[in-house]
Amino acid sequence: MKPTVRPSFVRAWPCIASDFSTFFLRLPPPPLAHARNIAQIRHRRIHSSLSPPPPPPLLASSPPSVPPPLFLRPPKYTTTVADLLEWHSWAKSLAASVGSSFEDSDNGPDSRLLCRELNWLMEDVLDGFDPSLMHKAVARDDPDVIVSSRADVQELYRLWKQRIEERRPFQYIVGCEHWRDLILCVREGVLIPRPETEIIVDLVGDVISKDQGLREGLWADLGTGSGAIAIGIAKILGDYGSVIATDLSPVAIQVASFNVERYSLQEKIEVREGSWLDPLKGVEGKVAGLVSNPPYIPSDDIGGLQAEVGRHEPRLALDGGAEGMDDLLHLCNGAASMLKPGSFFAFETNGEKQCKFLVDYMQNQLPGSFCNVNTASDFAGTQRFVTGFRNG
Amino acid sequence: MKISMAIQSLRRSLLPGTARSPPSLSSFPKLSGFAVSASVRPRAIVAASAAPGWRTGERTRRWGGFCSGNSEHDKALGSCFYSNGGAASSNYGGCSYLELSDEGLMKQCEMGTFKTSGPGGQHRNKRESAVRLKHIPTGIIAQAVEDRSQHKNRASALLRLRTLLALKVRNAVNLEAYSPPKELLQILPLKSTVRGSDCGPQIGPNNPKFMLGVQALLDLLSAFEGSVSEAAKLLGLSTGALSRLILSDDSLRLAVNELRASKGLKPLK
Ligand SMILES: C[S@@+](CC[C@H](N)C(=O)[O-])C[C@H]1O[C@@H](n2cnc3c(N)ncnc32)[C@H](O)[C@@H]1O
Repeated sequence: MKPTVRPSFVRAWPCIASDFSTFFLRLPPPPLAHARNIAQIRHRRIHSSLSPPPPPPLLASSPPSVPPPLFLRPPKYTTTVADLLEWHSWAKSLAASVGSSFEDSDNGPDSRLLCRELNWLMEDVLDGFDPSLMHKAVARDDPDVIVSSRADVQELYRLWKQRIEERRPFQYIVGCEHWRDLILCVREGVLIPRPETEIIVDLVGDVISKDQGLREGLWADLGTGSGAIAIGIAKILGDYGSVIATDLSPVAIQVASFNVERYSLQEKIEVREGSWLDPLKGVEGKVAGLVSNPPYIPSDDIGGLQAEVGRHEPRLALDGGAEGMDDLLHLCNGAASMLKPGSFFAFETNGEKQCKFLVDYMQNQLPGSFCNVNTASDFAGTQRFVTGFRNG
Repeated sequence: MKISMAIQSLRRSLLPGTARSPPSLSSFPKLSGFAVSASVRPRAIVAASAAPGWRTGERTRRWGGFCSGNSEHDKALGSCFYSNGGAASSNYGGCSYLELSDEGLMKQCEMGTFKTSGPGGQHRNKRESAVRLKHIPTGIIAQAVEDRSQHKNRASALLRLRTLLALKVRNAVNLEAYSPPKELLQILPLKSTVRGSDCGPQIGPNNPKFMLGVQALLDLLSAFEGSVSEAAKLLGLSTGALSRLILSDDSLRLAVNELRASKGLKPLK
C-alpha cells in the first residue's frame, strides 16, 4: 500500500510558493490590536464615509518581516528522526503541562487540543515525508535517518514556545487556516476565519440552488478579512456571477487578494478597500446578494476574551461597539440601497440576542425594505445568522 | 470537562461536490502509527464492536495513540461509535442507503458538533471542529475529529458512515433465486467461475466501490449463517480463495468474524 507522502494541497500550489515570500514581506506591520484606542477605531470605521480615514499608525519603524505560511515554504531543511522526536516529546510535555489551566482561566485550549495542534503543525512542517523511513529508523534503532522539513528544529522550538507561552494562535504560527475545503493564508492583522462562518456559504448555496438569477448576479462580502466567505461563494457560484470583497484593513485587503489569487479567482472576485458600503459605489441597486460577518463583540467583552483572540487578533475585526451592534446596524441600514429586488442577504451575529434584535429592527424600523427575515443556527445550535430578501 | 455534545437536526445540504475521495492520510499520523504499532495497515477503517476507546479508524486511533490517547475525552468520543447490535442483526435495506448521494444520506442524519461553554463565533479560537453524524434510520454513529476544518470532518464522518452502513446493516438475501450483484463480482478474484469477463479488473480496498461489494458479500455470508464454504460455492471460488479475500481487508475480516462469532463459529485467521 502506498502511503500518501504529503498533503495534497501542497501539490495544488507548487508554483506560487516562490513568490509568496516576497508578497508577505511587503505587507505592512499588523496593528497591535490591544494597544489601540477604541474610540479612534470606532470613529475610523463607521464615519469613514464622511471623512477619509487617517492612515493607520505605524507602530514599528521598519516593517517586521512576515515569513510565509509554513506549508508553502520550500522544504529546505533536514533533520534527523531523533531530533524531531526529541522536539516532539518536549512540545508534547509542554502542552501537557497546560492541563486545563487555559480553559479554566479564559476558555482557552486544553492539553488535548494543543496536542492535536501539534500534530497539525507536524503535518505542515514535514515534507514528502516517508513514514516507512520513520518506521525503519525506529525498528532498526537508527535515529540518524534524515527527513526534510519546512522549518528547522530551532524554529519549531521557538514556534511552540510562542504557542504555549504567548498564547499565539496556532493559525498564525502555521500561517493558515483550514476552512471548508479551503486552506486560507492568515497572519497577524487579519481575523482567523471561524468554523461557524462556514455556514454562510451553505446559506448562499441553498439560495442560489433555487434561483438561477441570484447565481448569475453580483455578490458582496463586506469585511472580507482573509477572503474566506468571498472565496467560498465564488467557488459555489461556479461559472456564473461574481463577487466584490471589501475591507477597511489594508492587511486584510492584501491577505484576501493573496488568497483570491491562490485560488485563481481574480477574474471572479474583486477586492476593494474601504468602509462597509462605500466600496459598493457604482453598483447601487444591482447587488444580488450581500453577506457580512462584521465585528459583533460588545466593547466591554473584549478584555475578557480568550487570550488567542483578545491579545492577538485585530480589534478592528472584533469590536462591534457598546452593544456589539454598531456595524450590523450600519449594514442593515445601508443594505437596502445596494440590493436589487428579490436579492438575498445574510449577516453573522453574536447570537440569539442580536439575531432577535435585528429581525425586529428590520421588520419594524425598516418596514417594506425586506421580506422573509429569519434567523439560522450554527452547528452548535446557537442562533447565529440573520437572513432575508430585499422586497420587490 | 466543559464540553457537551449538542445534537441538532440539520436538514441542509452538506457538500458542494458529492463524491469525495477518502481523506488522504497525511504524513505525520503514520509517524504516530509507528509509535503505537508498526503493523497496522494505513487504510482500513475498523468497525467498532461497541468497545470503548478510539475505534473509529486506524487514522483516528493513531492520533489518539500519538497524542495522549488516554484522555478521557477521547474515550468518550470513541464510545459514541457503536455497532448497531452486531453485524447480522438488522434488516434495514442498507443497500439503498449506500446508493444515496452524500446529500441524501446527510438528510437522514442528525449532526452534532462539540460545543463548549461560551458564545462561540468571533469570541473563540479553539479548533474544536469535531463532527458526529447519527444516521437516524439505523442509529449508526460516525464521527471525525482529526481534521482542522469542520467541513472536512463532515466529509470524513460521512465516508465512515458509508463504511459502517456497509459493514453493519444486513439485507435479506433470497438464496433460491440468488445471483451475485455486480458490485460483489467486482471484488472477487479473477479466477472466480461466476465472475464473467465483463466485470473488469478486481476492485481492491482502495476503491470506494469496494465497500459496496463488501456489503453484498456480508449479506450473502449472513444468509449462510457465516459459512464461508457455502458462500464460496455460490461465488465460484474455493473456500481458501474466499477466505483469503476476506482476510485481505481488516474491516471485512473483523465484520466476518463478528458474524461468525454470533453463530458460534471459529474466527477466520
Ligand atoms: C469578524 S471579521 C470577519 C472577517 C471575515 N469575513 C471572516 O468571516 O473570517 C470583520 C472584518 O470586518 C472588517 N472591518 C471592520 N470595520 C470595517 C469597516 N468599517 N468597513 C469594512 N470592513 C471593516 C475587519 O477588518 C475584519 O476583517
